[in-house]
Amino acid sequence: MSFVADECGEVGYVAFSGVQAIDWSEPSCGTLMALGECEGEPLFSPLRCDGDGDGDGEGTVKVDTGFLRLFLEYYRRQDFQNQIQGLLGKVKMIILTGHSLGATTASLTALWLLSNLQAIASPISVLCLTFGTPLLGNESLSQAILGERWGGSFCNVVSKLDVVPKLFFTALTSLTPQLYLLLQFWQGAMASPSPEQLVGELQKQNFDEFFSKFKKCVQDAAQSEEGARNNLFWPLGSYLFCSEEGAICLDDATSIVKMMHLMLETVSPVSSFEDHLKYSYFTRLLSLQFLKRIDIDDLSESSYEAAVFLALQSSGIDPQDDNISKPAKDCLQMARHMGRAPNLNNAYLAIKLSEITPCRAQLEWYKARCDESVDQRGYYDTFEKFAASRRESTINMNLFRLGTFWDRAIGMAARNELSHDFHCMPKWVNASHSYMLLAEPLEIARYYRHGMHTKKGHYIKHGRNRRFQILERWWNRKVAVVAQEPQQNNKKRSRSRYASFTHDSLFWARVEEAKDWLKYAEEEEDLNKLGSLLENTNHFEMYAEELIKNKEVSIDVLAKNSSYTLWAEKWKDLKAKLLRPPSTLVLNGMDCDYKEMKR
Amino acid sequence: MDIDTGSCGRELGIKDEVIKKACSISIRAHQAPAEKPFLVDKIRGSPSQVVIAFSGAWTSDAWSTRDGTAKAFGETEVNLNSFPSLRSIGNDITAKVNEASMNQFLQIMEKSALRSEMDKATRDSKPIIFAGHSSGGPIAIYATIWLLEEYKRLKKTLTHGPFCLTFGSPLTTDRIFCHAVRREEWSDRFVHFVMIHDIVPRILLAPLSSTKEFLEQSLPYLISPSAHHKADSIDKSKLTALFDNVMRNASCVASHAACILMGSTNMLLDTMTKFVQLSPYRPCGQYVFCTGTGRLVVVKNPDAVFQLLFYSLQLVSESESQQKAVASLPAHLAYEDGLDKNLDMRNAIHLENLCELPLSSDNTMDIATKTIVDTLNDLNLSARARLCLRAAGESEKQKEDNQKKIERKMGMIRNALDDLEGYRTMCETRGMGYFDAFKVQKHEDDFKANVKRLELAGIWDEIIEMLKRDELPDKYEAEKSWVKLGTEFRQLVEPLDVANYYRHLKNEDTGPYMTKGRPRRYKYTQRWREHAEQLPRGSCGESCFWADVEELNLAVTSNQPRNEQMALNVANKLKEWHAKGEVKKDAFLKETALVTWWKTLPDNHGAKLCIKDLIES
Repeated sequence: MSFVADECGEVGYVAFSGVQAIDWSEPSCGTLMALGECEGEPLFSPLRCDGDGDGDGEGTVKVDTGFLRLFLEYYRRQDFQNQIQGLLGKVKMIILTGHSLGATTASLTALWLLSNLQAIASPISVLCLTFGTPLLGNESLSQAILGERWGGSFCNVVSKLDVVPKLFFTALTSLTPQLYLLLQFWQGAMASPSPEQLVGELQKQNFDEFFSKFKKCVQDAAQSEEGARNNLFWPLGSYLFCSEEGAICLDDATSIVKMMHLMLETVSPVSSFEDHLKYSYFTRLLSLQFLKRIDIDDLSESSYEAAVFLALQSSGIDPQDDNISKPAKDCLQMARHMGRAPNLNNAYLAIKLSEITPCRAQLEWYKARCDESVDQRGYYDTFEKFAASRRESTINMNLFRLGTFWDRAIGMAARNELSHDFHCMPKWVNASHSYMLLAEPLEIARYYRHGMHTKKGHYIKHGRNRRFQILERWWNRKVAVVAQEPQQNNKKRSRSRYASFTHDSLFWARVEEAKDWLKYAEEEEDLNKLGSLLENTNHFEMYAEELIKNKEVSIDVLAKNSSYTLWAEKWKDLKAKLLRPPSTLVLNGMDCDYKEMKR
Repeated sequence: MDIDTGSCGRELGIKDEVIKKACSISIRAHQAPAEKPFLVDKIRGSPSQVVIAFSGAWTSDAWSTRDGTAKAFGETEVNLNSFPSLRSIGNDITAKVNEASMNQFLQIMEKSALRSEMDKATRDSKPIIFAGHSSGGPIAIYATIWLLEEYKRLKKTLTHGPFCLTFGSPLTTDRIFCHAVRREEWSDRFVHFVMIHDIVPRILLAPLSSTKEFLEQSLPYLISPSAHHKADSIDKSKLTALFDNVMRNASCVASHAACILMGSTNMLLDTMTKFVQLSPYRPCGQYVFCTGTGRLVVVKNPDAVFQLLFYSLQLVSESESQQKAVASLPAHLAYEDGLDKNLDMRNAIHLENLCELPLSSDNTMDIATKTIVDTLNDLNLSARARLCLRAAGESEKQKEDNQKKIERKMGMIRNALDDLEGYRTMCETRGMGYFDAFKVQKHEDDFKANVKRLELAGIWDEIIEMLKRDELPDKYEAEKSWVKLGTEFRQLVEPLDVANYYRHLKNEDTGPYMTKGRPRRYKYTQRWREHAEQLPRGSCGESCFWADVEELNLAVTSNQPRNEQMALNVANKLKEWHAKGEVKKDAFLKETALVTWWKTLPDNHGAKLCIKDLIES
């Protein structure tokens, strides 16, 4: 169990050895477990909370059980903690590196550091540079890393022929006993100064069956469909594939897997086992290749074709061999396309956003008119009561256009067509939030105007558009991030006037529910039921009063004829009635309940 | 592809003889005693010209001023007081240069007769050619810029303006420097000659710490002919190590630049720049590459020049490393001989249509293409290198296309501005300033104005975003039509943004408009105007005084002590702006926020008296 920590100028280095006390043949290796189940302290909090579901649902971030255990052993070592903390106190940048099994520990350490540094908003940069790493986690892990914008912190150098980086596509149990031999070979060769003899030993064994099984599994992975990969190991970060001819760097995980598959097609068994030990050779070669001029004849005159050809050549795939070079070309082109599309789409959406902003201005204007009008109903109630007029139909039109736009944005984000941190960009979070505050009250009004609540139930539980649920999640994420920031940035000033928009976009839906409770409470005779109704109503009242006190509601809530004001008056009446002596037995009971609730 | 067939170096604007003369004087300058940092010579003709050649120095204190704490590449920001143009305007980034060479120049300016030599030549309308070989090159560049800034300050035409010729000069100027020089349209006045095997032009692409020994101990002997040191007296293995080191660094920084040119989206790129320190220096001006076969190749595109600096020295095989390293020193000393023999700018090849450079040679070529192919071969360019040059060409073209794209939106901007101008007039007829009318948002017109404001914001934000990502031509921010439109837009629309900001109480959520809420579209356009009219920074606040008025008013209502400085400042400035017609009289109508605030001032207050006339008329 060895590692080395050192520093050089502003950079700290932590390197993990490939010789590790881990037994791949035991069942825990090669099986994924949810990162959230890792015992003890929350080491990777930003990654864990990102999954949609809890437990085994889609999107749960998982890592290899064995590698996680190995990392935790380091994590609990005092000398390891001391060295890391020592480095963090001194350096501006930190590089984590490791070969083979050590690479996975380096990656997990990097994830742990990144989570930690993010929480304290530290400016230290982290780079995890691994050599011949096995796969560490599932696709959700890879996605979560992209979502945190940590993708650029992981660079995995793998040799074109090395089998280890692809090994975990296979269920390891199906590969024993050859796997056992291989492990012995690698661990022995890493520790020994002259591995030639070991190579000789290995050559005597027959790996044909091992290889055919192995290739099949990698092929299956390369052809797997999105969504069916949750229990599959998946690459994370960028991969630098080295060959004798050069190197190519890919950062799109799907393309990486496809490339791994294609490169495997050209492999002869034993050389690929040796390649796992040749990383110092490859890195030296790589730095020389840059200085050397490479001449190629008969290149296409199209920049694009020529560049793809050069990339193929660097990856060590023979461009003449159509069986492999054609799919490899497709794969490189897709990777390029996947890389560019998000930025272009982001820019396109930005233009679309500026086009629909006037619709939002129209809603703002409508709100201001309603809030000022003589009937003193406010924005929400005016829209709820009047549906037929021309003015409201324009508003309907605008609502529709805005809704379509945001549905499109959400759809693109879900299909990974936008950059991975789209939902964290201030521009989009703020724009979507102000849309939500302005538009959702109108959607609620429409819901209740059409009597949908009598058919489907109340809005919050049964009628809320998925769009608003997602936009709210984006916003909450931002709020959570802001809350983590150091205190001085969070100084809250008290507002001097009512907000332009009520800060809770569901406020009116809550009012509608409270109206129902109040109505039932007036008629209810069953004591228990009445008690819970009153409790709910009371909760809402306290909540609303808090908002009003902080001036976090907009002026329309307080309009003389708004549903809220009318409700509040009725509720006051009801309370007075319930408390008025002389009271019946029932009401006496209520009296006590109410007082308790007040406390 | 354009092959220059014009006479004697007409393309460069300098005659061949002048170049030769400048080169030989530059080399002689190295022999001059230390107290004479430059040589002056006159060239007769019409008009007659003056050559001023610098020698520069490669001494330790000159090349890395602060040991230990110094930047890896010894760079520092230029002083904007001496060189006000050397920055990116909107983005507000100051250009960087090598600190040691800049200090040498400043010393020369301060202590020598350079100033009077310049004045004399300028008085006689004689164009000055600043020249320098090796370490003298950077000083010639700064002297030229200095004089160009002087011309600009005095608004003189550049007919007899200065030129700059360097021979084997190291790179000492950064990306912003080059951007600014191209924006000011000075870039054709700089011509740099580079022997393709010369290591010195690339040497500052490697960290100073790794090249220091060579620069301080070996090079000075070589370039000063009095010492009679021969290039082969230098330890070959040391030289090979130096060559390898410089080339590795050059490879790294050139690949990084190429990735950006080609629009690579790999996320590692960002991380790596934090971990690997890359040289900030980039070429600036025209480059003339002299190949081993005596061919001259002129390249103007700075990105292409940068790629060429690396690729033209790429090795054909590993074993070639020592050979090239050894050849790289004589090349640095061969400018005078080389140019004397081969200089005939008539036959120079201009690499211009970069997007269509041939990638490989085939047999069906016409003569013109064949010349280009031969030239590219002489320059030692592999297919990968040619792809990088193409990318440099594409990137330049893309920037121009982007500008055309936004130019098509000028009409839309114009129309929206006209509508808002109409709104302003209408408010005035209602007896209200449009700032206050907009803030109240009572009439349908106010709403329509808001829609116009948002439309305009959309267009301008797109432009600003392009500037931030460096997607527009260098010249864009100095285009008169855009500066003018930007100013009109800012003066008319920013008051509405201020009104909207305070109407929605954003100051309570985020802070005052000026420090926390001012959109970039106004900051950028303000800087454009200040730069174009050579006004002090921050002096064109005529579009945002309303924000100060709002803050002053807020202080009154919340019973805070009055900010006297701010009050006086606002009043004085208003008077000035009103006199220039930049603030219209509707600001002083009764019941505007301004007048409300003004009324709270005591009668004898300076600010009150200052704008009394304006308000009461």
